[in-house]
Amino acid sequence: MSTQERNFRILRGGGPSGSPAEFQSYSLELNEHATVLDALEWIRVEQAPDLMYRHSCHHGSCGTCGMTVNGKPKLACLTKVEDLAAGDIKLEPLVGMEPLGDLAVSPVPLMSAYPANSGYIRESEVNKDAARPEVVDRFERFENCIECGLCMAACPVGDEFQGPAVLAALNRELAKTPERRAEILHAAGRPDGVYRCERALECSRVCPTAVYPAKHIMELRKELEKESGAE
Amino acid sequence: MKKYHVVVIGGGGTGAAIAYDLVKRGFNATVLDRGELTSGTTGRHHGQLHCGARYAVGDREIARECMEETNTLRKIASESLESNYGLFVALNDEDEAFAPTFINACLESGIPAEKVPRKQALLMEPKLSEKIGTVVQVPDGTIDAWRLPLQFFAGAQQGGAVIRPFCPVTGIDIEGGRAVAVRIRDLIQRQDERIEADLIVNATGAWAPQITKFAGIDIPITPAPGTMLAVRKRLCNMVISHLHPSGDGDIIVPQRGLSIIGTTQYKTDDPDDIKVPREDVDFLYRCADEMVPEFSKQPFHAAWIAARPLAGKSESIEDGRGLSRDFVCVNHGEHDDVQGLMSVIGGKATVLRAMAEKTVDAVCHELGVQEPCTTTETPLPSHRQYYRKGAK
Ligand SMILES: Cc1cc2nc3c(=O)[nH]c(=O)nc-3n(C[C@H](O)[C@H](O)[C@H](O)COP(=O)(O)OP(=O)(O)OC[C@H]3O[C@@H](n4cnc5c(N)ncnc54)[C@H](O)[C@@H]3O)c2cc1C
Ligand code: SF4
Ligand code: FES
Repeated sequence: MSTQERNFRILRGGGPSGSPAEFQSYSLELNEHATVLDALEWIRVEQAPDLMYRHSCHHGSCGTCGMTVNGKPKLACLTKVEDLAAGDIKLEPLVGMEPLGDLAVSPVPLMSAYPANSGYIRESEVNKDAARPEVVDRFERFENCIECGLCMAACPVGDEFQGPAVLAALNRELAKTPERRAEILHAAGRPDGVYRCERALECSRVCPTAVYPAKHIMELRKELEKESGAE
Repeated sequence: MKKYHVVVIGGGGTGAAIAYDLVKRGFNATVLDRGELTSGTTGRHHGQLHCGARYAVGDREIARECMEETNTLRKIASESLESNYGLFVALNDEDEAFAPTFINACLESGIPAEKVPRKQALLMEPKLSEKIGTVVQVPDGTIDAWRLPLQFFAGAQQGGAVIRPFCPVTGIDIEGGRAVAVRIRDLIQRQDERIEADLIVNATGAWAPQITKFAGIDIPITPAPGTMLAVRKRLCNMVISHLHPSGDGDIIVPQRGLSIIGTTQYKTDDPDDIKVPREDVDFLYRCADEMVPEFSKQPFHAAWIAARPLAGKSESIEDGRGLSRDFVCVNHGEHDDVQGLMSVIGGKATVLRAMAEKTVDAVCHELGVQEPCTTTETPLPSHRQYYRKGAK
């Protein structure tokens, strides 16, 4: 297996401890399969035992490992080091979350913005006409959105915006619970709602699980227009 | 009752469920993890909600517990589960010969295993291999490895538990033969701290020996990592398992838009020093294709590895496959002359609640508290609740 030495420049410090944030360099040999998360794990074990970063599933399902990689929001566990441009790799915490220090953040801003009563299960779109065990009403699955916040970080619209992930969740709720239409459209049409979207489409570009938040925002706008047309 | 303070070391699924059970029984609880919650084995597991069928032939009791806990989790944490059932498929004559034993063992363990006509199975899961023989349907499912524990953490937090990620335990203070406090490094505040405890529960899984060492105790645990491989397409809705005595690469778990095959098993010395052996990836592709031939044609998504804690010293374990996957709760006051310290090791993510119940029963016994477990009925808060503003 071929290996290559790569140098990481990681923003250390910051967060509530008040310690100044500054870049530190770490070099290590990596094979062609290594992800940014693998690299962080090995840096922590071999060089920086106090290094803080978030991770859990290592396969793009939990949404904890979002960070800024060479200036772009990415999931560390799905970003192969080999695919990054030659030269130093710069790692900084994800924008839009509360910094805890080093690369770790708290997702409180994002999680608090989700509609409180939105579910996480949906009907599976796979083999829709398939037979099912008698006891299973419908095949179900988790929502696509893994609540990673990459879309919020990439979105050029500033504060006072519910943000792509939350609006996408609202549109999913509309599809799943049409009886809550009035309440959901009211939330989507608020001043911090869909009309703040500038259609930059950055959210759909960075989303690691193909939620396409921009599409959901457009759909919500259409629904809102239908309502105002009906008045 | 005096409000005892129990410190739980380890913020995996086990620590989450213990903290929830503790606060429900009136304890003060603090959970400490060296990193993010579930950054050990829990977040990385295969994601199978085990109804117990996989274990029934080997151990009816474990299988029965898995079935009960599957039903309980469907009641209290349905938002973290895809409850689509599973199919065990026979692929050769040996499997066919094993099928009656398997079905019988399931039924004896209270698992409603049901033979499904081959044709019907292909209607349920059209991507299954044409070569399948006997098919048995069981109540398996998929777990969100991160969100299920988070629901327990949210419940624990609501009950007053203090949950502190990024606080590695660096020592345990022993006074007069009793563990009385833990020493931590709070990485967020960048300071060292001492936390007093009436009892300490070590729920650090494969890292457990590193914690007991602080109390001068050597516990024989061997980390046994296994690999999982995900492709970027959901090929099935149900969990697909090879109908044979358990082995490597014999379960495909669907999750969101992914299909995940696992797993393998090795032994190692250090649970932090694990890397996916590349030969595992080819091996897992081959195994998956036997059950679902399109598997290896899908785009690669990720390969990762997680370490099980196996009871026993490395030299006395062959490959670990034969060892029970049950969990052990060791009271070090009885085994090692250090009072006030317990270690909880092993088990499965599926039975996290039951492990917590047994552990907190032991805690109650040790501290002379009489409070029954009440974690089976009330639905847990949403996983997002844990991170809602003001939830802390
Ligand atoms: C390959 C594999 C596949 C599996 N698949 C499944 C499955 O499909 N279904 C299923 O039900 N089960 C499965 N399991 C089993 C399941 O993953 C485990 O039983 C469960 O996750 C164990 O959780 P835990 O909380 O005991 O340990 P862990 O999740 O490992 O938690 C221990 C925690 O302790 C922390 N820690 C370590 N040192 C310190 C310290 N010094 N201070 C503070 N904290 C510390 C770690 O960071 C870690 O978060 C699988 C296991 C493996 C290995
Ligand atoms: S919509 Fe996509 S990018 Fe945004 S939080 Fe959800 S998964 Fe992440
Ligand atoms: S570690 Fe779970 S998404 Fe990256």
